[in-house]
Amino acid sequence: MEWEVDEGKEAAAVVVGLIEKATNSTKPDLDPRILKSIKSVVRHSDLELRLAVENLMNLMKRDHSQVRYLALAIIHELFMRSKVFRRLIVENLEQLLSLSVGFRRNQPLPAPPAIASKLRLKAIEFLERWNTAFGIHYRQLRLGYDYLKNTLRFQFPNLQANAARAQQERRERELRTKEILLKKYELLNSNLPSIKHEVKSMVDEINECLEILQSCKEPNLPLSPINEEEEEEYFEEFRSLELRQIRDNSLKEADKVQENSENKVVFDALRELYKLLVTKHIVAVQESISVLIRVELSDNRVRDSMLKEFIDTRNHLKTIKKKCEEAGCALSVNTTDEGGEEDIWEEGTSERFDIPKPNKQSEDRDHDVSRSKDSLKIINNKAVCDADLDPLKSKLMGEAPVMKWGSFLDNWGSVMANQRGLEVEGHWGRVDYDAVIPANKIAELNIQATVYEEEEEDDKEIQQCGAPLKKGGLCTRRDLKICPFHGTIVPRDNQGKPLIDDDNYLSEVKENLVSVSTEELVKQAVNNVRERDAAKKREYYDNKKEMKRAKLAKVRGHNDAVLRDAALASTSATCSIGEDVETREKNSLAKMLKKKVSVKDRLGRRLLNRKATARATQLMNLGDDDHSKYREAFPNQW
Amino acid sequence: MWKEIGDRQSGKLRPNSFISRIRSNRASSLQLSNHKEIVSPHRGAINSLQVDLTEGRYLLSGASDASLSVYDIQHTTDYEGGGLIAKHKPILHVDKQHQNGHKYAISTAIWYPIDTGLFITGSFDHHINVWDTNTSQVVMDFKMPGKVYRTAMSSLATSHMLIAAATEDVQVRLCDMASGAFSHTLSGHRDGVMAVEWSACSEWVLMTGGCDGAIRFWDIRRAGCFSVLDQSHSQLGRRPPLLERSTTKVTTSRSFSPGQTSSSKTRPPQKKATSSSGSKHSGGSRILRQGKQKQRLHPGLLSSQDRATAHYGAVMGLKATEDGMYLLSAGSDSRLRLWDIESGCNTLVHFEITRLQTTKPIQLAVTQDSALVFVPCMTSLKAFDLWSGKTSMTLQGHYEHVNCCCYNAYDQELFTGGNDRQILIWSPPKLISQDVDEWDGRTGKPPALDEDNWSD
Repeated sequence: MEWEVDEGKEAAAVVVGLIEKATNSTKPDLDPRILKSIKSVVRHSDLELRLAVENLMNLMKRDHSQVRYLALAIIHELFMRSKVFRRLIVENLEQLLSLSVGFRRNQPLPAPPAIASKLRLKAIEFLERWNTAFGIHYRQLRLGYDYLKNTLRFQFPNLQANAARAQQERRERELRTKEILLKKYELLNSNLPSIKHEVKSMVDEINECLEILQSCKEPNLPLSPINEEEEEEYFEEFRSLELRQIRDNSLKEADKVQENSENKVVFDALRELYKLLVTKHIVAVQESISVLIRVELSDNRVRDSMLKEFIDTRNHLKTIKKKCEEAGCALSVNTTDEGGEEDIWEEGTSERFDIPKPNKQSEDRDHDVSRSKDSLKIINNKAVCDADLDPLKSKLMGEAPVMKWGSFLDNWGSVMANQRGLEVEGHWGRVDYDAVIPANKIAELNIQATVYEEEEEDDKEIQQCGAPLKKGGLCTRRDLKICPFHGTIVPRDNQGKPLIDDDNYLSEVKENLVSVSTEELVKQAVNNVRERDAAKKREYYDNKKEMKRAKLAKVRGHNDAVLRDAALASTSATCSIGEDVETREKNSLAKMLKKKVSVKDRLGRRLLNRKATARATQLMNLGDDDHSKYREAFPNQW
Repeated sequence: MWKEIGDRQSGKLRPNSFISRIRSNRASSLQLSNHKEIVSPHRGAINSLQVDLTEGRYLLSGASDASLSVYDIQHTTDYEGGGLIAKHKPILHVDKQHQNGHKYAISTAIWYPIDTGLFITGSFDHHINVWDTNTSQVVMDFKMPGKVYRTAMSSLATSHMLIAAATEDVQVRLCDMASGAFSHTLSGHRDGVMAVEWSACSEWVLMTGGCDGAIRFWDIRRAGCFSVLDQSHSQLGRRPPLLERSTTKVTTSRSFSPGQTSSSKTRPPQKKATSSSGSKHSGGSRILRQGKQKQRLHPGLLSSQDRATAHYGAVMGLKATEDGMYLLSAGSDSRLRLWDIESGCNTLVHFEITRLQTTKPIQLAVTQDSALVFVPCMTSLKAFDLWSGKTSMTLQGHYEHVNCCCYNAYDQELFTGGNDRQILIWSPPKLISQDVDEWDGRTGKPPALDEDNWSD
């Protein structure tokens, strides 16, 4: 029996110590390790829980919001877990709330105010969570929640309601989309014949166009297409793969019906139809397929059949689209651009045929956007261009600066910014016609942006430092700007004397205003260097010391941590090890209560204390005082 | 509990004592009821609560927002949480919008003691209304000279139906429901009257407590008050048994005959009391002395000269025990005193009260066997042992001051009302098996279980 009691006491000491430790911190959150150990200790028996409750309630009464905040966090953790704890806490919930929410006017929350407001928010949030989780079992929780909410009108975070509302909204949105889909489906169902008809008529038209083109094509087959296998058999030895591909391509090209004045009308019609096909019908069919996929119906048979039909239509349309493309109908949007550019860079492209990349050519044909890019690249490649150009152009080419391709080339030559800033014609906004941009700004604005490129290392040798060394000879370090031993690298003569005096030297000269011999100068330089070296060395040693100190501190910290762990794991006997830490923290807890002294406070202290005010009033009254004395002395004169 | 049942089964225990034991056991284990709650529609402090005396089923509440409600505390109107929480919504609610409603705060609401067809409310708008419960209409209206603090009707009365009204005015008026007029005007208090209580053993005796700190006893059949309680006039502990006193103090008891006790009930009521000479009680003798000084005064009015006080400060509440032998008074001096009605002595029981609310009259409650007294102490309600004054329970649940409490002797439940607009029910703990049965029987999702939940 006695033994049990002893054990109970010991356990109590552990719980109390742990809670004390957990709340004795300036950190905004609980130490999870201590919390865990509190939980594991408290789990053992109701006695410990009871002690924990008692201790926590005592801590809640402390005159320090930080302590209360941490205690409340522990209470919350245990509250969500233990039934006994809940029962005990609920018994004086009113007190707990008044200590954590501070709703009683005669019991406001203690300093520091920032943490006090945090404590209040947290307490309200916890109360709500407790109420939603366990309110049904504890009338006191319901009462407290109701009182704070309906009587004192505290703003609760309303977690549950918010979540419910969000879910409700989501459900509504889903419902709405479902409805919309259903409507779309119905519309589609009713429009199905007309859509089919439309598509069919268009497909027929396209087919007709294609047929016309095919029929009017002259049968020009200068080289009969050779069977691939045959080709391989016979011409393997002297036909490279690339050449063959080029040939194939050209054959294909030749196969195509070329647009000319005769069949231009047909091509135009085809192009129109193609455009319609791509921008309208394929898109519409795709959309209706997606609607059909997403819609939810009780009877799926109709939908499935419709879906099948639509997929078939889509595939059909795609094949037709391919046919059109083969017939030379690119996306009509780009056709105009193509023509314009091709005029200028015809030579360039023709030049490229001897480059052994035949696939590239077909790609170029497909993506005319990339073509302009390529052709621009060609200007850079002077060697390629030189051969076939007229002399003036080649001369100009020779002079022209080599530019990387970039977006700035789009408005080459047009001045982006003039003296008045941007071009103002056709500008609807407010315009200041007198505004003038300074010349240097203009210059700055007109500078082309270039990417920095490393120059090749071979043609630029990094200079040696060349400063004279103590033991004779010159420093052979190669640095770009600064030698770590001799400072900025300056051009020096072969004795190591700097050709241009550094500013340090100049200032010295100015101070002395004495002509100094070269030998002295050298000495001075050497001295300077030595001084610098010594400073460097000192710094190095200092660094070393600091590193050592840091290492020691680290080791100490590690030891502390290990000891603390041991203390946590074992009984109260070892609890006192971390005490010095604790006292330090206590100081900081106390420090939190102290108000930070602002400038205003200091000024106020100086200006508003009694002495100062007395002095001020005295000063104010001084003249007055004399006057009054005078008045008293000579009442008749006044 | 099982032991008592066993004893009863074997016949060791008499039925009466069995009942009283069970009752006192239950009364001493009150706690905030989780399974039963009252939905209070009031938007102001609850000032008065009473369970009707005939059925013990209807709770009447009056609140500061001039609203009053009647609840059926036996039949649940609504369930919540899968049948775990039974809610009692008002079956009758009257507020300011009602055509005959009170204008200002209702300070008192009591049932007509004979049946539940009538109830009486008194308000700060100087009116006392008598309501018909079934039509919820006012059937009678008394205009008082000041704010009404308390009203009381005698539960014993067979020959009169008087409403005693304690008001701001110094005079206590008795309103006769039969005639609709004031039948009596009792003057003697020097300040407003906060508390009024009829004797539990004589239909003629009225006890009033005033803001002047005096508690006066009146016999409504004669003029003036016949006794003024004096706090310095004391006797230690409970009254000694009858046998010791019966021979020596016959005359004394005769002089107090209107304040009948169970011991003196056998004797016929003595009409002439204060004027009779002979060996007197010290209180009586003082009255006599004063009478000598002012010969011209009517003997019944002599006591109006008596300035004895029961409390330092106002008397906030009065409550007589069921057996009519003792009177409890609460004062604004934060004291609760237990008086022996028969002798008019302060029994000097020290109740461990720290502080009482002093701004409003408070309503006390006593258990049926006079073992416990429930006193609203600021935000909590305390139960004291009546004879030792020791705190036996502290019922913490209200968030603001508690104003009134009402003990229902039928099922040992306590109702409390406070400034936080809540009416709380305190009941003995339910047996667990009952709990389980209750929500098992109802179809619906079982509520979230209240269990340990250790994650690690």
